[in-house]
Amino acid sequence: MYGIIDCDNCYVSCERVFRPDLNGKPVVVLSNNDGCVVARSNEAKALGIKAGTPYFQLAEQFPDDKIAVFSSNYELYGDLTGRVVKLIKQEVPAYFRYSIDECFVYLDGMEQIDLKQWGEALHKKIHQYVGMPVSIGLAPNKTLAKMASHFAKKYQGYRHCCMIDSDEKRIKALQLYPIEDVWGIGRRYAAKLNALGVNTAYDFAQHHEGWVRQTFNNINIVRTWQELNGEDVVPNEELAKKKSICTSRSFNGMINDFATLRTHVSNYAARCAEKLRQQKTVASIVGVFLHTNMFREDLPQYWNFQESRLITPTSSTTPLVSTACEVLKGIYRQGYQYKKAGVIVMGIGPDSPIQQDLFDMNAETIQKMRRLDAVVDRINRLHGSETIVIGSQQYTQKNGKGKADVFANAIKHDHKSKNPTTRWSDIIKLK
Amino acid sequence: MGNIKIRKGEFSTRLELLRAEVAAGFPILTNDYSNEPLDFNRDFIKHPEASFYGQVEGESMRDAGIFDGDLVIIDRAEEPHDGSIVVAWWEDGFTMKYLDLKHRKDGYIELRPANPDFPVFKVDDPTSFKVWGVVIHLIRPFIKP
Repeated sequence: MYGIIDCDNCYVSCERVFRPDLNGKPVVVLSNNDGCVVARSNEAKALGIKAGTPYFQLAEQFPDDKIAVFSSNYELYGDLTGRVVKLIKQEVPAYFRYSIDECFVYLDGMEQIDLKQWGEALHKKIHQYVGMPVSIGLAPNKTLAKMASHFAKKYQGYRHCCMIDSDEKRIKALQLYPIEDVWGIGRRYAAKLNALGVNTAYDFAQHHEGWVRQTFNNINIVRTWQELNGEDVVPNEELAKKKSICTSRSFNGMINDFATLRTHVSNYAARCAEKLRQQKTVASIVGVFLHTNMFREDLPQYWNFQESRLITPTSSTTPLVSTACEVLKGIYRQGYQYKKAGVIVMGIGPDSPIQQDLFDMNAETIQKMRRLDAVVDRINRLHGSETIVIGSQQYTQKNGKGKADVFANAIKHDHKSKNPTTRWSDIIKLK
Repeated sequence: MGNIKIRKGEFSTRLELLRAEVAAGFPILTNDYSNEPLDFNRDFIKHPEASFYGQVEGESMRDAGIFDGDLVIIDRAEEPHDGSIVVAWWEDGFTMKYLDLKHRKDGYIELRPANPDFPVFKVDDPTSFKVWGVVIHLIRPFIKP
């Protein structure tokens, strides 16, 4: 048996943990830079607010409704969802975290217990411990488990856990399920299937395998068809492909000078380094991308991405920042108005033992850098992020007090909540 | 206090016997990590995933020995009982008080301060009120960390 545990309206639920008064009220979370709506509470969905609605339209469209608005606060979401994963880990033989808010679990060897009851109890535990509501789907393969979790989310009667464990239940589920919502069927394939008269998962599963192979000539679609028919064929490695960390932002306005871009890219690289250290991993590839504003057809357009392999995998800020800056230098072209840049680190592996390269750094230097990073992380955690930054991370732009602006303020997040689980300065106040 | 709790460790083979006895008001913990150093987080935080920190503002719990600026550890996994010190959401913010369940049959509960200068909150509308967690430890640093 497989399961998937999916956090309900994850970002909204995270915000509600420290704002219990917002339960039952419309809440939305905005994308980076407060651009558009990325997460909605059920109440916000009921008002007709669509995912992707630009923030400035909200107030115009819903002048009479009180909608609680938050800037995205990934530090908070990362901590709370990490707690959810730890609770799940204690209960299952094996698990795979599929995304920030979804976790696949393998339940082999647990068949002797009542899994439906176990799922309901797990939901209750996660909700009590962390404050996060989840939906749990259980089925003999991952595609059906995904489907079951949607049913668990949609119908309260399932008490947060839906199990597809018989052919009868499987067929009933397939008949109720639109083909475009099936895991692994993209929008493009769904359109093609609709055109061929396939509207539900059941319609699709009823076709012969030969028809599926001939029509699509795509192994993933065939696997989806097989799983809808009850087989277990989607390989677990398919889930693990997203092994990279990316930090990127759209700028407030546009940027053309190299120095400012370098400052941004340095900060993105530093953030990647911090994330690597948090999960005790190191990266061996640093990629940088930048592009102009694709919507401004009146301006010259430019897009580029390049990567560089590190001789010694690292999670240290200094080498990751300097490598990212080198890559940026290679792809930067003068005369363009840049809208977005980002740093992606890949080739991620466990922190130790690091394969040492003779031509790179000696062990003593690495040791020293590790100690330096540990001290910097500690100070930043105690006194707030960006108390200590390395030279190229410093913004030349001045804030109201005449001091250099910090990264956190250089992007827009007017409605950001606090970080009561990761910063001492933000812990909840008790009157 | 004085009861025996069996706590399941990360691996089921590492069952730990945790016995608390009252000695001069402080529980003595006996554990089975025979050669490992004592570790506050390991031995005193039973549910790390459910534990959160809070900072006390004001003197409403003074007579319970909890002062302005103190740090408390809140465990959401603990069931609140009558007399527990709880963190609750009350109207527009978090508050820490004694939970008084004696009037539950009469349709209300009370949040009691430990200071006669502060009012008792009578809660009869469950929509504006929620027990958020149970206070399990108090931390008061005597030197700057």
